[in-house]
Amino acid sequence: MSLIPAALATATALAGAGALAGCALPYRQRVPVVGVLTAGVGAGGCTAGAAALSGSRWSAAFPGLLPLAGAHVAVDALAGLFMAVAGAVVVAVAVYGIGYAAGHGAHGLGSHSAQAVLPLFALTLVLVPVAASVSTFLALWEVMALASLLLVLAEHRERVSVRQAGIWYAVMTHLGLVLLLAGFALFAAQTGGETFAALRAGAHTVSPAVRGLVFVLVMLAFASKAGAVPLHAWLPRAHPEAPSPVSALMSAAMVNLGIYGLVRTGFDLLGGGPAWWWLGLIAVGGASAVYGILQAAMASDLKRLLAYSTSENIGLVLIGVGASGLFAAYGNRPLAALALAAALLHVVNHAAFKALLFCAAGAVLRATGLRDLDRMGGLRAPMPVTAGLFALGALGAVALPPGNGFVSEWLLLQSLIHGLAVPGVAVAVVLPLSVALIALSAGIAAAVFVKALGVGFFARPRSTQAAAAKEAPRLMLAAMALLGAGCAALALVPGLLGDGLDRAVDAVGLPGSGAVSDGGLKVRLTDVSATLSPLWVAAALTTALALAVGLPRLYGRRRRRVNARLWDCGGGAPTPRMAYTATSFAEPLQRVFDDVLAPEQDVDVTPVRESAYLVERVRFQHRVPDRIEHRLYEPVLRSLAGAGQAARRLAGGSVHLYLGYGFAGLVVLLLILAVGW
Amino acid sequence: MNAVGYTAVAGQIVAVTAGAPLLTGWMRQVRARLEGRAGAGVLQPWRDARKLLRKEPITPAGTGPAFRAAPALLVATTVVTAALVPLLSTDTPVSGHADLIVVVSLIALGTLALALAGLDTGTAFGGMGASREMTVAALVEPTILLSVFALSIPAGTTNIPAIVTGAVDEPARLASPAGLLAVAALAVAVLAETGRIPVDNPSTHLELTMIHEAMVLEYAGPDLALVELGAQMRLTLLLGLLSSLFVPWGIATTGSWAALAVALVLLAAKLVLLGAVLAAAEVFWAKVRLFRVPELLAGSFLLALLAVTASYFLTGAS
Amino acid sequence: MNGGLYTQLLDLACGLFLLAAVLVLWVRELAVIVRIFALQGIALAALAVLLGAHEQRWDLIGVGIGIGLLRAGVLPYLMRRALAAITADRQRYGTAVAESRETQPLVNVAASLLTAALLTLLAYAVARPLTELNPTPATRALPVGLAVVLIGFFVLVTRRRALAQVVGFLLLDNGITATAFLATSGVPLIVELGVSFDVLLAVLVLQILTTRMREAFGTTDIDDLRELHD
Repeated sequence: MSLIPAALATATALAGAGALAGCALPYRQRVPVVGVLTAGVGAGGCTAGAAALSGSRWSAAFPGLLPLAGAHVAVDALAGLFMAVAGAVVVAVAVYGIGYAAGHGAHGLGSHSAQAVLPLFALTLVLVPVAASVSTFLALWEVMALASLLLVLAEHRERVSVRQAGIWYAVMTHLGLVLLLAGFALFAAQTGGETFAALRAGAHTVSPAVRGLVFVLVMLAFASKAGAVPLHAWLPRAHPEAPSPVSALMSAAMVNLGIYGLVRTGFDLLGGGPAWWWLGLIAVGGASAVYGILQAAMASDLKRLLAYSTSENIGLVLIGVGASGLFAAYGNRPLAALALAAALLHVVNHAAFKALLFCAAGAVLRATGLRDLDRMGGLRAPMPVTAGLFALGALGAVALPPGNGFVSEWLLLQSLIHGLAVPGVAVAVVLPLSVALIALSAGIAAAVFVKALGVGFFARPRSTQAAAAKEAPRLMLAAMALLGAGCAALALVPGLLGDGLDRAVDAVGLPGSGAVSDGGLKVRLTDVSATLSPLWVAAALTTALALAVGLPRLYGRRRRRVNARLWDCGGGAPTPRMAYTATSFAEPLQRVFDDVLAPEQDVDVTPVRESAYLVERVRFQHRVPDRIEHRLYEPVLRSLAGAGQAARRLAGGSVHLYLGYGFAGLVVLLLILAVGW
Repeated sequence: MNAVGYTAVAGQIVAVTAGAPLLTGWMRQVRARLEGRAGAGVLQPWRDARKLLRKEPITPAGTGPAFRAAPALLVATTVVTAALVPLLSTDTPVSGHADLIVVVSLIALGTLALALAGLDTGTAFGGMGASREMTVAALVEPTILLSVFALSIPAGTTNIPAIVTGAVDEPARLASPAGLLAVAALAVAVLAETGRIPVDNPSTHLELTMIHEAMVLEYAGPDLALVELGAQMRLTLLLGLLSSLFVPWGIATTGSWAALAVALVLLAAKLVLLGAVLAAAEVFWAKVRLFRVPELLAGSFLLALLAVTASYFLTGAS
Repeated sequence: MNGGLYTQLLDLACGLFLLAAVLVLWVRELAVIVRIFALQGIALAALAVLLGAHEQRWDLIGVGIGIGLLRAGVLPYLMRRALAAITADRQRYGTAVAESRETQPLVNVAASLLTAALLTLLAYAVARPLTELNPTPATRALPVGLAVVLIGFFVLVTRRRALAQVVGFLLLDNGITATAFLATSGVPLIVELGVSFDVLLAVLVLQILTTRMREAFGTTDIDDLRELHD
């Protein structure tokens, strides 16, 4: 009982100290001190979350902390799950950040401002789930957005593209905030209270139309934070441009909070809703899953690829959440609990492998200065540990056994496959399509991560930077190993999470499914029969691998391995330039999904002056633009720019005119009040 | 009882491992005869494997651990799936783990390992093969999972022994449209996964047409033997899986020695028949162009989806 | 007839009926499309005969046999003759292959197949309330008829060759007939005869149209009809 407030208070104090240290200390001490303090913040959050997952609850009100309503906080198992995930990610990434920023110079992530903001960002990641009133939640949410924005902008002196990314992120995140504000304000006005308890109690008195409106507004806001298509535009910009530890924090901890908000509002505060809410959510999730992974398949920027893969995984989670709501709407609560457990488990797994992948990508970036897969290659020789850890993360991301992503995706598929027991046309139509979309995204994800690993880390270096790479410092490797251990633990013994996951599902009013339990070894579905024991699969694979390696050796004469040249068609040894790059690897997929991706290419042929038949230079340019962005955002931006141009006529430059607008506005408002009321 | 179960598992593994080259030899022989050639005999793949195993292992310049580990991993995933799929008996010590999703994922894991090895060579051939293989694998995935979906609806589980036992008890399930459509869909998926003729030509070495062979071009000696054995085992296993799911009769459902022996004989008969049919079909079919393969897979996807829908809108399961 | 066997056979006939419609989308070769259409005719006839045998209505069996003759015999024969005429004509110019295949449908084959999947789900969703009124094996298969209607319409919209269009139209009609059988165990005999006669006439008209088109434009790509607009 007393553990949660103590841990949270410690985390807050450490964050404050970290912020001060970031402002005050000189560069040499700043990075390690802030790193350690931030890790402390994460540890505090993780402890509090773990305590909440093991069954404790805590709530309190601080009337003086925020003006008007005061701050309300409460911790239940659902909040605990997200706190624990965020805290664990923060711990590892903070340690990683020490190695990353050290020796990088006092600019970028090592600067005063970035180091001062980092602990605050970590704190908000841990604290957002604690909020138990609308104003507390929004305040923390906004601080989190601002802190992450400042961190995204940390390297703005080095690359112009950072500023672009910052603008996109700022605009999208604040549009989200406006929607959130509108949704919550409407909800609070209808229920007559702004604490979550009041909202929960009053939700049933609100008319269905208003509830629906609240859900749509809030869903859009949270989906944009989670990076779901079509509100994902900020994600593939901000994640690659942010310093790698920040990308890891955003992708593995911050986007989760969008899911948290959705589950908290949709299930807990609104108390579930009609089928159309959840069908909408499944549609968004399905679109995110497939579109996100397709764009990832096309990306040749490693961090952009990972960012789009985040979109995909969030899509899978949204399908799970949507299916859960749908099942609950049709009254099958055990199945709803199962789907929600699958979604939450996937959140945990995604956080683990995505943090690891971003950290490994950061290690490559730090060692070579490259994000472009086309110019990497051969990194497994100079950076064996990083390559191995990236492979571990990728195994999780492709959702194949024995990776950790497989466990949650298996559970998700099980909940969908057995969902046909739920009557209703919508269910019967949506479930097979969802399964197909999940399968397609899993299949393409395999291609994506084969590309990332095989083109980026295997074969031979395709640029001088890649050839000159050196292994990352010990501290970074240690942090990545920590995340890798997390991935392995989640992959082999997901049962360790079992009771906590049940409590988290329980916290939103669905009966715990007991899906992940049984001595911490098996995933077992109680209402339908299917079992998966990841540890058994891993053990069987290892045994079979030993057999496959050992038996042929017994038969064949033992000989040493002989080196040989690659087969070169008699044309001399193939150069690294002949190797497949990320772009060429993705070409068949791009052709298959031509209609969806609409790639653009220009061929520019310059003939020599004397003859039109002799070519001097051929320029070939090929791009796969984000089509949703083109179709959806550009018209909006254009019309906004048009409106802005039109509004310029109102601004004549005279101060009197501007003051006059204000005065006229005031008078008109008063007139309306006088006449209307 | 338990001894029978363990024997069944061991029998499945041995049958798939030892039978795979024989099945390939048989299919080549059938094909040769249909084309008017004498053929090299059923045992030829075994002789090839023996020859390759005795050669010295070769490491092409610039390849790394992924290249060396992939063949063993390919064989290992197939061995595990061979233990899991109820080819001989549904009542084995591992039948609780025999989940259909796990089985198809393990097979995909083998594909992935080989694709990584192809990229690891750093040659254009390796990259091309890997790229094409992963594209086909990605597009096959929805068909496979929807077929799994369709099959698991009547049984209420994705556990393969339970599905097979259910089908043995209630043969009507198999003759229903859902069952037949699922067979057709899964058959196309199997052809794509094993690189057989409408999708890939296993006996070509022409760069324009090959997928799988391009990927493994750099392998030689014992590594090549493992890669070939792995590919042959996958074909045997997937044909065996098809036969278990759709012609389940003869598979031992109880732990008796006699049933096991009958199951072994019947499994061999089914595989010989399926192999002959496939080989004969391959004589008449042409490989489709790479960018026509998505059409084929979209078709099989549609069949799988129809199987899912048919299973509730015709028999009204819900 | 035994209830279980009847359901089984009915389901099989319906599955075949739907499968044939899907195959029409999948295949490019016009000659094969005609053959598949004949197969669908057989499935439809089997459907009618099965329903008739189950309800012991001899008129239904008679209608079924009539449908079988018309749709699996006469209509495919007519279409094959039209096809042979077209290809024989084009043989002289060496473009017979182009004429005998649906080379460039407006929506590519993979996308058409996926659309067909969605249309089937739509048909299922739409037919669900009807099915629930009186859930017998026959009405449960109602979505199959609707799906074939939708797929037929889709073929009509997206295929270029006049012959493929004819098949699309006939698919549509097959779908309507199947829906009628499944929903109400068949329309009155006289109506069915009238409809079948109409269909026969329509095919004859279309066959003449195809011949005319070939003479006028040298191809049966109906996009060329646009030229008549001006």
